[in-house]
Amino acid sequence: MITGMDRLAAAIQGKKSDRIPVFCNLIDQGAKELGMPLKEYYSNGENVAEAQLKMRERFGYDNVWSLFYVGKEAELLGCKELIYAKDGPPNVADFVIKTHDDIHRLEVPDDISAHPAFQETLKCLRILKSEVGGKQAICAYVTASMTLPALLMGMDRWMELFMLGPASVRDELLEKCSDFFRKEITAYRNAGADVCVYANAFGSTDFVPMRLFRELSLPQMEKDLKPVGIDGVVYYCGGARMNAVLEQVIDRLGIGAYYLSPLDNISEGKKIIGNRALTCGVINDIMLIGWTMQEVRDEVRRMLDAGMPGGKFLFGTLVMPYNIPEENIRAMLETAYEYGACVEEATS
Amino acid sequence: MLEDVITAYNEAVFDTDRERALKVIHDAVDRGVSPEDVVFKVVIPAIEQMIKSISESFDANLAQHFMTSQIAAEVTEEMLARFRKAPEVVGHIVIGTAQGDLHSLGKRIVIGCLKSLMIDVTDLGVNVPPEKFVDEAVARNAQVIGISAMMVHTARGENGCIMVRELLRKRGLEDRIKIIVGGAPYRYDLELYKTVGADASADDGITAGRVIAGLIKEVRR
Ligand code: B12
Repeated sequence: MITGMDRLAAAIQGKKSDRIPVFCNLIDQGAKELGMPLKEYYSNGENVAEAQLKMRERFGYDNVWSLFYVGKEAELLGCKELIYAKDGPPNVADFVIKTHDDIHRLEVPDDISAHPAFQETLKCLRILKSEVGGKQAICAYVTASMTLPALLMGMDRWMELFMLGPASVRDELLEKCSDFFRKEITAYRNAGADVCVYANAFGSTDFVPMRLFRELSLPQMEKDLKPVGIDGVVYYCGGARMNAVLEQVIDRLGIGAYYLSPLDNISEGKKIIGNRALTCGVINDIMLIGWTMQEVRDEVRRMLDAGMPGGKFLFGTLVMPYNIPEENIRAMLETAYEYGACVEEATS
Repeated sequence: MLEDVITAYNEAVFDTDRERALKVIHDAVDRGVSPEDVVFKVVIPAIEQMIKSISESFDANLAQHFMTSQIAAEVTEEMLARFRKAPEVVGHIVIGTAQGDLHSLGKRIVIGCLKSLMIDVTDLGVNVPPEKFVDEAVARNAQVIGISAMMVHTARGENGCIMVRELLRKRGLEDRIKIIVGGAPYRYDLELYKTVGADASADDGITAGRVIAGLIKEVRR
């Protein structure tokens, strides 16, 4: 039987397969799956693994997640307080960095795998690996050094430091966050993650002007990735657009997969990426809450029409909001399975 | 001469160069341009120019929005202190992030722009309960409540805009106080503001200034 990993590998290599790979990022929905409040759900890696496996089994898509919530990265760096909701992801409620002195004091743990806050993630990964390792893509979420400070001090204060300086303090923080990134991605890889989503809002010109993208973002991303390599790395701007920078990122970093924004034009992105990497077309999943099933189907078809010609295409979602009706999830997936069938070989 | 100041200031802001923008202003003041003219003939037109280019689908990025609003607020504050008489305030808005939401950057950008548009702002901070939005708006005689929400569950949730609307209705305040919302979920779903009972939303912090000024006018009519 063809597995999710087979489909992913075929798409990356531009080979034939039964259908395109489909990534459906159900995260908080796991709590619903197990009938548990979110706080209890996230307290144990076994819960997350169990729900990830169950949901994948039930819906048939090609990936599972080791991500609990993004705020976990702040916990690895000392955050002690999260704010939980009953129908949405937990958020960082206490910023580790309140003053510039906190930046000088910030310590990056040497071995992330040994950190108490990583143990449940490891537990989850161990189960995922033993159950679906090599068969379904095991995904990890790793925030780039340029975006991580937003979790540690708030986007507001980070933007201020980033744009107004002092540059020496900014660079000290970036250095520490890059160190953290490299250690974190290593820990995830060692624990069996196949796909590492490299999340960087500052890798989009929706966030920074092109001049700063060239002067700061590109070199910083190189710093993150050069020492650890780009194996399994997916370029992702947190949902922000990337078509305008694709050429430069491919050229400079050589990353093999691009997770577009729902606001990017898919055919344009595909044209730029061409045969050089995997193009991931991403649905505007916030609209899935209110769309009719027919609207969902139409949108998926439109996206596949734009992205599939020439092969090397994956269909994906962002962080699926908790309240999407299950029938819309099904409508989306079934359309992607049906119209995503018969993948052509990439033309070189 | 004012033309040159406007052009130089605009260029500096566009390049997100705060130092240069402030220097343009200070040089102008040294050459005799009045603080009133700096605000009304340079800073405000610069914001309006930005709104115009955004609506003509020029893509300003977040850093530019941030810097435009920061620089405008900074210059306005400095100039206001030197005004011969206090300027007329256009209106008042209370603003905060929805309950459960701690994302404060959007709010900050909006506030910066409003300051230079002579709209008084009360910042209620982050994670604001719906009652507080309404109580503070009443206490401060505000014409507008601004709610920022960066996640779907805080934008759509029952303790966000939906409850603020409910409270305004129950207390018979709907003619006196308008609601404006903003944040990522509203940018991905352009009709969402209606679903949650807001009167308006704005895609970016700079445009927000104009929309809020419009709402204030509506209430004051
Ligand atoms: C950068 C980013 C991050 C960063 C930084 C987050 C942070 N702490 O600030 C990181 C990578 C850490 C991150 C993490 C998460 N994120 Co995030 N993130 C983004 C991103 C790319 C930008 C958000 C941002 O900071 N924008 C800055 C603001 C100022 O910009 P803006 O929205 O354009 O604001 C303008 C307008 O909206 C308007 N405006 C704003 N407020 C107001 C108010 C009023 C009254 C008015 C009139 C106008 C207005 O003016 C602003 C200025 O021009 C968005 C996607 C996107 N492209 O928007 C996702 C997004 C907000 N994130 C999302 C999610 C889910 C998360 C997580 C919860 C994921 C998780 N499961 O853990 C975590 C939460 C982390 C935490 N806080 O604990 C979702 C939210 C939707 C949803 N599914 O609920 C988004 C939309 C991405 C997506 N589509 O999936 N994220």
